[in-house]
Amino acid sequence: MKTKKWRFMSVILVFFLLLAGCSYGGDSSNSSGEQSEGEGTGSDPKKGGKVSIPIVADPTFNPWHPNAYAESNVVNRVLFSGLTQPGKDLAPSPDLATKWETSDDELEWTFYLRDDVLWHDGEKFTAEDVAYTFNEIVLNAELGANNSSYFQKVKEVQVVNDYEVKFIMESPVAALPAYLSFNTEIVPKHIFEGEDPWELTSFNKVNPVGTGAYKLKSYTSGQSVVLERNDDFYGDVGLLDEIEYKVLPDVNTHVAQILSGELSIFALDDLASIERIEQAEGVSVFGRETPRFFWIIVNHEEEKYQDKRVKQAILHAIDRQNIIDTVLKGYGTIADAGIAPALEEYYTDDVARYDYDPEKAKELLAEAGWTDTDGDGIVDKDGEPFSIDFKIGIQGDLEAVSQMVQQYLVKIGLDVKLNAMEWNAMIQDVVVNRNYEMSLNWWRYPADPDLSAYMHSANVKGNNIPHYQNPELDKLLDQGAQTSDVEERKKIYIEAQKLMAEELPYIFLWYPQEAQVRIDKLKGVPDLAFGDALHYIHEWYIEE
Amino acid sequence: MHTSIPNKKYSGGDEVLRFLLNRLGQSAILLLIVTIITFFLINLAPGGPASTMRMDASPEERQAMVEKLGLDQPIHIRYIDWITNALKGDLGVSFTSSEPVVQRIAERLPYTIELTVFTIILSITIGILFGVISAIKRGKAQDHVINFFSVLGLSVPAFWLGLMLILLFSINLGWLPSSGVGARGADFNFWGWISHLIMPVLILTTTVLPNIVRFTRSSMLEVISQNYIRTARAKGAKESIVLYVHALRNALIPVVTIIGVLIPRLLSGAVITEAIFGWTGIGTLILEAARGRDYPLVMGVTVVITVVVVLCNLIVDLIYSRIDPRVKNV
Repeated sequence: MKTKKWRFMSVILVFFLLLAGCSYGGDSSNSSGEQSEGEGTGSDPKKGGKVSIPIVADPTFNPWHPNAYAESNVVNRVLFSGLTQPGKDLAPSPDLATKWETSDDELEWTFYLRDDVLWHDGEKFTAEDVAYTFNEIVLNAELGANNSSYFQKVKEVQVVNDYEVKFIMESPVAALPAYLSFNTEIVPKHIFEGEDPWELTSFNKVNPVGTGAYKLKSYTSGQSVVLERNDDFYGDVGLLDEIEYKVLPDVNTHVAQILSGELSIFALDDLASIERIEQAEGVSVFGRETPRFFWIIVNHEEEKYQDKRVKQAILHAIDRQNIIDTVLKGYGTIADAGIAPALEEYYTDDVARYDYDPEKAKELLAEAGWTDTDGDGIVDKDGEPFSIDFKIGIQGDLEAVSQMVQQYLVKIGLDVKLNAMEWNAMIQDVVVNRNYEMSLNWWRYPADPDLSAYMHSANVKGNNIPHYQNPELDKLLDQGAQTSDVEERKKIYIEAQKLMAEELPYIFLWYPQEAQVRIDKLKGVPDLAFGDALHYIHEWYIEE
Repeated sequence: MHTSIPNKKYSGGDEVLRFLLNRLGQSAILLLIVTIITFFLINLAPGGPASTMRMDASPEERQAMVEKLGLDQPIHIRYIDWITNALKGDLGVSFTSSEPVVQRIAERLPYTIELTVFTIILSITIGILFGVISAIKRGKAQDHVINFFSVLGLSVPAFWLGLMLILLFSINLGWLPSSGVGARGADFNFWGWISHLIMPVLILTTTVLPNIVRFTRSSMLEVISQNYIRTARAKGAKESIVLYVHALRNALIPVVTIIGVLIPRLLSGAVITEAIFGWTGIGTLILEAARGRDYPLVMGVTVVITVVVVLCNLIVDLIYSRIDPRVKNV
């Protein structure tokens, strides 16, 4: 009898403990989540204070190093400077270069450099540093530098004088100033010369020397990187005393730490906890447009996907707005082509659109010859059922999204097998070996509408993973890439967007918005995506 | 890992030496097998260092990476290279950071040792105490309460409990920092250090403590039903002396074994706990190594962990024969 009583009491106790765990945080919901920027209300910006930014792993202080991933980009962007940077309208604006011009045949770009820039070790920055960075690192194919594919058309960089360089091109690249603003910072020749740029651990891991608004103060592997104000900065000297990057591998920790005030700002990838943050006091979430699009790709090497009606049917079958509302919590807009609304100048929504319409989808499939003849719920053609091997990598919300997509496609009679793989294994299978039939992922690209890398037939071995080939689209993309006149380019890319929406080289899903989480005390952050706002970190300040 | 032959008499030092040499020989073979298996497993796992590059890396960029890291060589050649260098004490250079693997491990190990020492001290003192109480008060309220919390501690997942503690102590109460190891070196201060330790040690203790409690309890129960305890009571010894001198000493022998198993488990890095609390020990290093397909680092950590496990077992066996003369190592 005694044991029975105890068992009962134990059950009660467990129940209470679980209840205590679950009900946590339900009562702090009195502040409004999204609020307008508080710039107008505050006092003047003042010096002092620090911000804390999470990174998921140890950084490599060399923007070109093949191991410099996202966690390195956010540090290097502050330590170093590029020739250009994304302006507050995302168009390339001056940084180390004050102005630039192109020759009439667009095969030579001249960049005029600032003459008042010092490296963090006191040496003077000159054109030699730019030439070294490009000729010896970026254009050295053996090194396989990060992002070097953007500069494939650059033959060499010539020094004209100390503060003037020429980029000699094989063919015109209108997007060059935009590419130069995206993770392409200049490194010091006087330190790298004669060294293997990847093996120079004393720089890459210990003591980086940049030209940025903040310089390295301390770095402890696995813990933190602390930067301090560079008082010799060539632009407006920073207001914050320090920038601290905390190495925090677990994303849940990021959320916990911004709620407890131990972090200041970051872009939230997994939106599962967004409501809790929106409700918290002292923290706000801002939706920011970014040049990104989510996509489904089908392998165009397979015959059944060469019929565009099949791709159109897939798009009609998916209730994209529902996925945006539920999984993305509203942070996104439906995409019909690849150029994101973040690129205001070039974006158009005046293209073919695909509403959620499963009946229409079935009709399109039937037109393409796919009907359910044997009544097993799966459409077939010439006796072959339409089955799809759908491979995705597990990261962020990709799996949740893909499960919904799978359900929608099953409803129109496609037999979809979802294969969610570990990220690196997916890259190996889908990106490197091209051993896939359907996949779902996203691209992020520099703030320029040139999407050749992803859908031009010249890049079927590169990032044109769907193996899409269309001479008409190639022609438009080539024209756009080679035209630097903005008005002219707009026309070309509007044309290109209409064609993309009709032909679907990618099955476009949506343009996600970045959910930027930020403590309210942090001011002066421009209305840009987090990564771009970092270029303006010298304007950030803390309001007590 | 121990063998015991109870009926021989203990006879001097050179047998201990022989035992040691014997065991070290076995350990070397074990280590070799572990490295072979690990090396082939990680190299054959899908995805490689070139696939950890950003998704839009070009095929040329990936190829350059593969060549630079020497991954275009056949796998058995690479293993032979690795083991030859490892025997010379060179565990290679980390793929992701270009720093020597030995250095990266040496940076992280002290933090994990710190966590282990505190966890073990806390777990042993509380664990043995509760185990004894639970055994003496068998079937009474105290026993049930201790038992209940032991089961709870064993079954609650560390990541959940960790996040709940962060919610409570860091976010709602604001008493403790939610992650990190605190300032070291010049900025070191005692409270900063302890405050960072509290939550991770607490989490690890909840996973380790129940094992010790339950082992102590069952071992104690077994001992107090033995004849010699009855004899001790019969000759009129005080109950406290019977329990703490006669019983506990013998009851602790199996407990030493379980502690010997728990220490290497903690030293090899509590991956989840370390990740949640941003504790920069071996656990987070394992995570980084695996995520970045950093083969040399994975191998290095594997070697170090294997050595730790082997050594701990060896030490336990030696201690064992000391506290229980009947146990002899051969």
